[in-house]
Amino acid sequence: MQDVQKKGRRFFRQVSMKRDAGKRKFLGFTVTPLVLYMTFWTLFPVLWGFALAFFEYSARRSGNTLLGFGGDNPFVGLQHFKSMLNFSPEAPKWVRQFHISFKTTLLFAFIILPLNLAITLPLAALIESVHERVKGIFRTFFFLPVLAPSAGVAIMWGYVFHPQKGLLNAIITSIGGKYVATNWTADQSLMIMGIPVALIAVIVAYIWQDLGYNLVIFIAALQSIPDSVKDAAKIDGVNSWQMFIHIVLPLMKPTILLTSILTMISSFQVFDIIQIMTLGGPNDQTRVMSIDIYDNAFRFQRMGWASAVSIVLFLLVMTISLVQSRMLEADWEY
Amino acid sequence: MLTKPKISKRKWKPQAAIPYIVLVFASIVAVLPFVWMVLGSFKTGRELRQTPPTFFPQEFTVENYNTIMQDEDLPLALFYRNSTIVAAANVFQVLFTSSLFGYIFAKFDFKKKDLLFWFILATMMLPSQITMIPGYLILAKLKLINKLWALIIPAATDAFGIFLFRQFSLSIPNELLDAARVDGASEFRIYRSVVLPQLGPALATFGMLTFMFNWNAYLWPLIVLTEEKVRTLPIILTWYSNQHANQIHLTMAASVMVVLPVLLVFAFTQKWIVKGITLTGLK
Repeated sequence: MQDVQKKGRRFFRQVSMKRDAGKRKFLGFTVTPLVLYMTFWTLFPVLWGFALAFFEYSARRSGNTLLGFGGDNPFVGLQHFKSMLNFSPEAPKWVRQFHISFKTTLLFAFIILPLNLAITLPLAALIESVHERVKGIFRTFFFLPVLAPSAGVAIMWGYVFHPQKGLLNAIITSIGGKYVATNWTADQSLMIMGIPVALIAVIVAYIWQDLGYNLVIFIAALQSIPDSVKDAAKIDGVNSWQMFIHIVLPLMKPTILLTSILTMISSFQVFDIIQIMTLGGPNDQTRVMSIDIYDNAFRFQRMGWASAVSIVLFLLVMTISLVQSRMLEADWEY
Repeated sequence: MLTKPKISKRKWKPQAAIPYIVLVFASIVAVLPFVWMVLGSFKTGRELRQTPPTFFPQEFTVENYNTIMQDEDLPLALFYRNSTIVAAANVFQVLFTSSLFGYIFAKFDFKKKDLLFWFILATMMLPSQITMIPGYLILAKLKLINKLWALIIPAATDAFGIFLFRQFSLSIPNELLDAARVDGASEFRIYRSVVLPQLGPALATFGMLTFMFNWNAYLWPLIVLTEEKVRTLPIILTWYSNQHANQIHLTMAASVMVVLPVLLVFAFTQKWIVKGITLTGLK
């Protein structure tokens, strides 16, 4: 009897050892390539990107053997970051452009966020309030731009703001009766409340494409509010406006916070629409940081400087992400 | 004589129409730019030069589309092919690596697992601008600039995908995996025949999102593809628009041809995509 037990135990041990060997082999064959791949295509570029910020670097100059650092691409230490703090009007052009792009990025993001929420929240509530059968149709109308390539969206909005053949001028003409030919995206003297009209034009195009994201997330959040809560409020004689302000919005607070952060982070990195509609112009009025980074790195061959700017962008994104995690850590009780 | 009191089942309130009116109006505003472009693509060049501009085409023509189809400088079929190759290859490899490593991070233990997972999560927070310049330099050293490989090779893993599939794999019962092991299945076989089927819906949704993301990508292709014949659709569209800035009847038709077909496909799959976005909060 004891013998049988011993045999059985030994058998199981053998099986489990064999199984562990199989697992180890499996992990070796999968995790090792992953680590190698990520080291080469993620870790190495990140480290290289940070290192570049401390050099005067151009891909056109050969430099020393090790990644082209040194030689013609000299180490400059914190020079790039120091010159970012040079606010005198005699500062080099790229420094002044960095200041402009930093301000424009913040301005862009802080206009986008409230505007986006002001459109998507009521729109989500409206779509939720209509009959089940047409809900999907309306949602599709506002969601489809999310799926379109932003290059197409930017070109399409270019036709709206086109100085001679544009929709906007056509509408103004038909209302006012007099033909207008305003060059909305290229006339730097146009301002509304101190904000360049070119910037407003790219903001409109960006919001048009982007609002579908938040919309579907808010619709889902609205649907997850239990009917019992709403019914209880109805019995208490609450009208639909009070319901939205005092019951629905507070319940959606965590969702709104999270989507706000995501909206902000992605608008910090806006590139496609601005690059295609205005190229950052007129007179740098729509120059955001990603345009500045792209121009410096790939048009003017100032890769070291561009890396330094991208680190500033990274810090901006990190700051917002940290604020986000702080806010999410706070208790959210219904 | 007594008349029967009228009892309406439901009182129709005029306020009930307000959401519909607002929504219809907002929808019109939202689709107007798109309608403008589609209508414009059917106008003649002469009509588009007219002042003031017209809304509906006075003289409906498909000549613009014919011109584009016959333009030898714009082999649209080639660019559709390029975009399809890149998007399909990336969907395939990203789904493979995301599901495999998501499963491994959920169900296996190995040395430095937490460190590796933390690193993968951390890369999600990095703006692409940080790795953009070194990424370009690496590809240039490997002589991969102006090759479609430049869009495929660096895109084999997706940190978000790994994270997502780890969450989904956690809910796969361990008993199921052990049962397969007792039956003598190899670990890879378990992944393929037990785990993958469990992840089916997530694979479909995430695959759709990945396809869309790759199909619409602009910045990275703009950097690594500078020769015409390897360009993808978004890049060629902006190139063509700049080349023909004075013939917007042609560029409008080109935009419609690039945007509309795939947008229709996406429209039919949007239920999945919406599910994916609301489930993950992916941006």
